[in-house]
Amino acid sequence: MDALNQLFHGFGVALSPQNLAFVFLGVLMGTIIGMLPGLGPISAISLMIPVAFTMDPTSAIIMLAGVYYGAIFGGSTSSILLNAPGVAGTVATSFDGYPLARKGQAGKALSVAAIASFVGGTVGVVGLMLVAPSLSALTVSFGPAEYFALMVLGLTAVVTLSGNNLTKGLISGTVGVMIALVGIDSQTSTLRFTFGRHELYEGVEFLIVALGVFALAEVFVMLLRRGQGGGDGTITSLRLSRRELKEISGPTGRGSVLGFFTGVLPGAGATVASFLSYSFEKRLAKDGKTFGKGNIKGVAAPESANNGAAVGSFVPLLTLGVPGSGTTAVLLGALLVLGVQPGPLLLDEQPDMFWGVVASMYIGNIVLLILNLPLIPLFAKVLRTPQALLLPLVVVFCVVGVYGHSFSTFDLWLLIGFGVLGFLMRANGFPAAPLILGLILGGLMEKSMRQALLISSGDLTTFVTKPISATLLALAALSLLAPLYGAWRRTRRRQGLSEDDGRGQDERRKATAGGTRERKNG
Amino acid sequence: MHHFRFSQRTVAAVLGVLAVAYTVQAYRIPEFAAVQVPVQPGTLPRGLGLLLIVLCLALFLQKPAPKTTDTSETTDTAPAATTERTEHAATTATTTATTATTATTATTATTGATTATPPTLGRLADARLELAVLLGAIVLYVLLFEPLGFIPATALFVTGTAWYLGFGRHWVNALVGVGVAAGLYLGMSEGLDVALPTGVLPF
Repeated sequence: MDALNQLFHGFGVALSPQNLAFVFLGVLMGTIIGMLPGLGPISAISLMIPVAFTMDPTSAIIMLAGVYYGAIFGGSTSSILLNAPGVAGTVATSFDGYPLARKGQAGKALSVAAIASFVGGTVGVVGLMLVAPSLSALTVSFGPAEYFALMVLGLTAVVTLSGNNLTKGLISGTVGVMIALVGIDSQTSTLRFTFGRHELYEGVEFLIVALGVFALAEVFVMLLRRGQGGGDGTITSLRLSRRELKEISGPTGRGSVLGFFTGVLPGAGATVASFLSYSFEKRLAKDGKTFGKGNIKGVAAPESANNGAAVGSFVPLLTLGVPGSGTTAVLLGALLVLGVQPGPLLLDEQPDMFWGVVASMYIGNIVLLILNLPLIPLFAKVLRTPQALLLPLVVVFCVVGVYGHSFSTFDLWLLIGFGVLGFLMRANGFPAAPLILGLILGGLMEKSMRQALLISSGDLTTFVTKPISATLLALAALSLLAPLYGAWRRTRRRQGLSEDDGRGQDERRKATAGGTRERKNG
Repeated sequence: MHHFRFSQRTVAAVLGVLAVAYTVQAYRIPEFAAVQVPVQPGTLPRGLGLLLIVLCLALFLQKPAPKTTDTSETTDTAPAATTERTEHAATTATTTATTATTATTATTATTGATTATPPTLGRLADARLELAVLLGAIVLYVLLFEPLGFIPATALFVTGTAWYLGFGRHWVNALVGVGVAAGLYLGMSEGLDVALPTGVLPF
């Protein structure tokens, strides 16, 4: 009952006219930005951060959360209409949504997506409400050693799940941590990697990196694609028959629950959830063969899962202070700048904020449904923004975002540099999510490592002798080794003749992973 | 994209050199001796530098993936990558063909051209040069940002870039450029109390 009381209190916070306006603004902006091809939730949140800096923290997180699920929701529109997923999490939606649109059933596909997203989001919020308090009660007992282990786990999980080359993911993550260490060392005030530039004393602002590596790099990619993927955005009837509603109820329900739990796990975000749910339903459905050719179940499953996961990923963010995905990592960065330290104490110290956010999610989901259903035809016009005009506008938004935050042209040069870096990373298959996560977790990781070692007076075994910390580190090691083992088994099965060659390669990779673990322990 | 995809060994070698440079720098970070601390400021950078060297070695020795993957989404998975790839191969083939033909007509692009034909960005046949032009435009924008002021620089950048990329409706273009610049300026300075550079304009 206590939680229910708290929730009512939360509704009181969320229903204040000001916060209501921010939910609406966040959801609306998220939907619009998420719909633009190439601009995902990370770009959307990064673009809205300068706006959020001027607000009080509760309103800011309510708005940014709105932007997040709004962007996931909006991403489905461009996936279905143009086969151009604006968000990685809606890639799976395009498998069946786009064929439906080509068959002239774009309206139906969009309605299915809207309904499935609503259900997924709502199930996610209920889960968040039920799971978060108990999880945070558990994690109050976490000391610095446990935190360090947890962050290592978060980082390795994101590394292993993003992209298909583990080494490249690890390189991204390492470089991210390296960027985090630039500036004055907080404990000893030693200058590190500032190259005599006083602009770097404070470190590199994560907003610059996020905007550069994601939004600006995307601009370059769009230019190289020569604007392919623009469309006319014709919409047909939105109506669903009762039989169709019944048909999608199963996949939607399962997708929501699956999505939520996938979202809670560190490292597994909306993208993983949507693919998991899609392949699960494809295997489960009797008409599984029509998946990929325009089956509405193939739209409902990933859409409910990615929205469930988007909400689910707030659980580790709010209760542990550890982001489970690149997007929540950006959110965490924003919260830290606003002076909010998410973590187990958030629930006790700032219940207003926690329950306000939860309540605002209920409202936000309803706002989303109201926005999407009748406004689908109108929003589709955004997709008609000619890319020739869209490109410079995105650049301007990036520049304003960075300059408005620091008032320094030096940061603008950094922005361009990170844009080029992000582009080269994409061109060569380096995932960007580990980089941003490493950047945000790097500083925290070093801090908790130092605290843990101070407590243990320099004894490195503290990380493996504490049960929780040891378990988390073992999980991290396992998450690195599991894909290696899978790859090894595949190569062995595939090449019976050149077996020793495959094994040699595997051993090298294993050695690297082992090295990683040791380094992180030490 | 394929213009900028280097062989895995090249990437690994370049990164490796950078990693060595980073590690050398990390070892030159002075030790902190005033108080006894378990973790020196240089400890983590050194570890990271060595880790990166090891990772680069691993990447160098690794057999490149049988098919080069186009990870156009940050968290791409296999099915998405394959569809993207085939489609991308097809589109690049067609775009190079269309750009060759439209290159001559692009200079006289009219209002009808943008709506009727599928949008093709830019004017040059080589995408690399196109990218260089955009990068140059952004650099110019940043250079002029403070001296010229936010509104003129932004209006010029948006209008100029959109025009160059082949946005045909010049009046709409100019209006959007000036409108966005002025709107953002007002929104930022009045609404959010963020002062953007005024530059040559008196307000």
